[in-house]
Amino acid sequence: MKNRVLFVVTLLLIIVTASGTMFAQNLKELTVFTGEPLPEYPGSTIVGDIIRAETGIKLNREALVGDLETRVGLMIASGDYPDMVVAAHFTSLLKDAGALRPLNELIEEHAPNLKRLYANHWEMLQQEDGNVYWLPIQAIPYGPDKSRYPSLAFFINKKVLKDAGWPIVKTFDEYFQLIENYVAKYPTINGQSTIGYLTLFDDWRSFATTNVPQHLMGYPNEGEYVPVLEQGRYVVKQYHTSNTAKQYYQKLNEMYNKGIVDKETFVMNYDQYIEKLSSGRVLGTFNQFWQVEEAQNYLLRDDPDSILVPLPIVIDTLVEEYQLDIPYVQPTQGMGITTSCKDPVAAIKYLDYLIKEDTQRLIQWGIEGEHYLVDEDGLYYRTPEQTALFRDPDWVQNVFGRQYFHNAFPSLRGVDENGNMFFPDTQPHLIYSGSHDAEKEVVDAYGVQTFTELFNEPIFKKYFPLWTITMPAGSAAHIEETRMKDVLNGYVPRLVMSKPAEFEGIWANYVRDISPLMKEQMKVYQEGIDWRMENW
Amino acid sequence: MNTSITLPRRHNKLWDKIKRQKALILMSVPFVVHIIIFKYVPIWGWLMAFQNYWPGKGLFQQTWVGFENFRLLFKDVVFYQVLRNTLAMSIIKLVMGTVASIALALAINEVRAVKFKKTAQTISYLPHFISWVVAANLVRDALSTDGGIINQVLMSLRIIKEPIMFLGIPKMFWWIIGISHVWKEVGWGAIIYLAAIAGIDPALYEAAVIDGAGRLKQMWYITLPSIRPTISILLIMNMGYLMSSGFEQQYLLQNGRVIDYARVFAIYELDYGIKMMRYSFATAVGIFKSVVSLILVFAANQIAKRWGQEGLM
Repeated sequence: MKNRVLFVVTLLLIIVTASGTMFAQNLKELTVFTGEPLPEYPGSTIVGDIIRAETGIKLNREALVGDLETRVGLMIASGDYPDMVVAAHFTSLLKDAGALRPLNELIEEHAPNLKRLYANHWEMLQQEDGNVYWLPIQAIPYGPDKSRYPSLAFFINKKVLKDAGWPIVKTFDEYFQLIENYVAKYPTINGQSTIGYLTLFDDWRSFATTNVPQHLMGYPNEGEYVPVLEQGRYVVKQYHTSNTAKQYYQKLNEMYNKGIVDKETFVMNYDQYIEKLSSGRVLGTFNQFWQVEEAQNYLLRDDPDSILVPLPIVIDTLVEEYQLDIPYVQPTQGMGITTSCKDPVAAIKYLDYLIKEDTQRLIQWGIEGEHYLVDEDGLYYRTPEQTALFRDPDWVQNVFGRQYFHNAFPSLRGVDENGNMFFPDTQPHLIYSGSHDAEKEVVDAYGVQTFTELFNEPIFKKYFPLWTITMPAGSAAHIEETRMKDVLNGYVPRLVMSKPAEFEGIWANYVRDISPLMKEQMKVYQEGIDWRMENW
Repeated sequence: MNTSITLPRRHNKLWDKIKRQKALILMSVPFVVHIIIFKYVPIWGWLMAFQNYWPGKGLFQQTWVGFENFRLLFKDVVFYQVLRNTLAMSIIKLVMGTVASIALALAINEVRAVKFKKTAQTISYLPHFISWVVAANLVRDALSTDGGIINQVLMSLRIIKEPIMFLGIPKMFWWIIGISHVWKEVGWGAIIYLAAIAGIDPALYEAAVIDGAGRLKQMWYITLPSIRPTISILLIMNMGYLMSSGFEQQYLLQNGRVIDYARVFAIYELDYGIKMMRYSFATAVGIFKSVVSLILVFAANQIAKRWGQEGLM
């Protein structure tokens, strides 16, 4: 009896799947691997259904499970590629393995939109052989946008600013003075001890501590080195042993010994960092915004008086601050079409469809009238109900379906052809009105519309940023880079946590050990910068 | 006539044996096949250590570099640090783990209240089933200076005045690894000893009681000697793992402050090998580990035999 039921059920299943495939036969299928974890496609989403109907293509996705390096390695070893692939920083490895098709002719013949919208970036995408093998996941065709938060900053707890009467803070010393005063006044917050300053040092995220000297010198995020303009040429310089670095670590050392810097800041991991920040009792931290965004969201919801406010802090008043990112595309990685793809024309046409402005608007804003409205000036806006809908990450992902066509696929950002922004979050007249009340209180106090206005406008540099130049895998420069990071990881905690009297001695040893470990890398970076200045 | 009988008979003897043990042989075939496929076939990959391997090309289209990768390895100062850390942590873990597991097994064995016995056993082996990702966070929280339980207890007992940053003291890292290993694995390790103890003939204990042996004497003269073969076999087998003292535990508990004492082979292979696409270098490290492990196992086996214990081979 049981068997018969099972048999019938199986039979039904077979019939259903068979008819399903027959029904879907007029759809062309393409496979794509995206190098980031994303849940299985729900089967039907608002965005996805429209795209499928208009292109006649069904995407079979493989999202990342586990380690990207391993997955890409396996792909290369087996020679078994999906039609399209996004392999983040292992993209060039796929090219070296001969897995990617040159896209030049395909784009020329079949993809007018890609050609038009990537035109600004075309030079930087060409590899040594003159071919383009991948498309970066973001293109800026018409001009950059503004965001509510700078990409990196010294953050300070809103309470501190409020308590001090919204002072203008410019230098590193002033910043710590404010924190010290507040700790002296309020040694505990909600019954727990106040944490003056927290610096993240967990594994690869330790750049949140070691990259700081360049920012104190007024630079945006260049990476481990900064190109300095000397007689019309950008010369790569190191900052790890600079005076600014010394002042920075010495200040942290002083603050550590005063109990302002958290005792366990060098042993906590990222989870603990977020947990402490979210508790609202941390007064200051430096980081890139994406690393603290999670904590900021918790604070906005639970403790709006303790949100993190980004400040443009430099080492002293002589330094001019240019910490904001210059808008750039990431030319060293993106989406490629593989040599295993049987129908590259269909694939490039699909990407061409995705990139055009109307599709991008659909993915970002939705359907006009239903997900956004247009005012008499032609500017897009959303009603409070629509805004609330898009603030629900579950809805956006599972019902609307944005993530499945955005994160890994070629997309547009910045201003669009009619003055709106591709990303609703950056729509200028919405940045302020869409802010949380807690954020408005701060920007109102400083007389600006958004936190980024507290910073200076960036200066354009053609090569920007340095860090997208990568060391050839396994090369002498690459090994040197790892050793240098080892030295940093070993010395920085000691520099900060030692007794003030021992600082000079440790600093001297640090300079001795790290200085010989930068030559090869600087050579690679200098070549890369020179090449970019000449060819881009 | 005679000759024609003896030959088939000799032949039949082996055949008979196979026939008799047919079920056993059948059962072991999958394991032998498994070992060949997963342990012997990949040894071909060792060729990579003598090449400058680059993915995407076949094994024989690579450039050959001879012993270059080994030269780089033995020249690297970090390598000797890694060797020291690996051996130190392995030995600490092996000694502490074995002693604690045997002690726990003996203690649980002596408990007569069944309910308590079962509860104690379950609680002690539960941590084994948590992954290190979770366990490492528990350890970090317990050792935190910011309200961690260990510091709280020590402070309320007035043993220390200021909280100690345990995870920030390089010299302490090996012991934290050892102790957290014991916490996580002691119950699991005790199971096999408990099983060995259960197999001891009760008549031995009865005889000892008649001779006037108390609980401790029984443990010392009967229980321990009876499980000695189990202990020595487990020790020999564990010798093979001395060169690989784990990965997740150190990787998740380490931080910049203690890296000089925390980096073990697996982390070294990852940081200086695979992450840099130096697959050949990572393979060379792997070969070095395997060769040393093999020597250690054979040495332990010989020592055990000399001490009159049963060896593995």
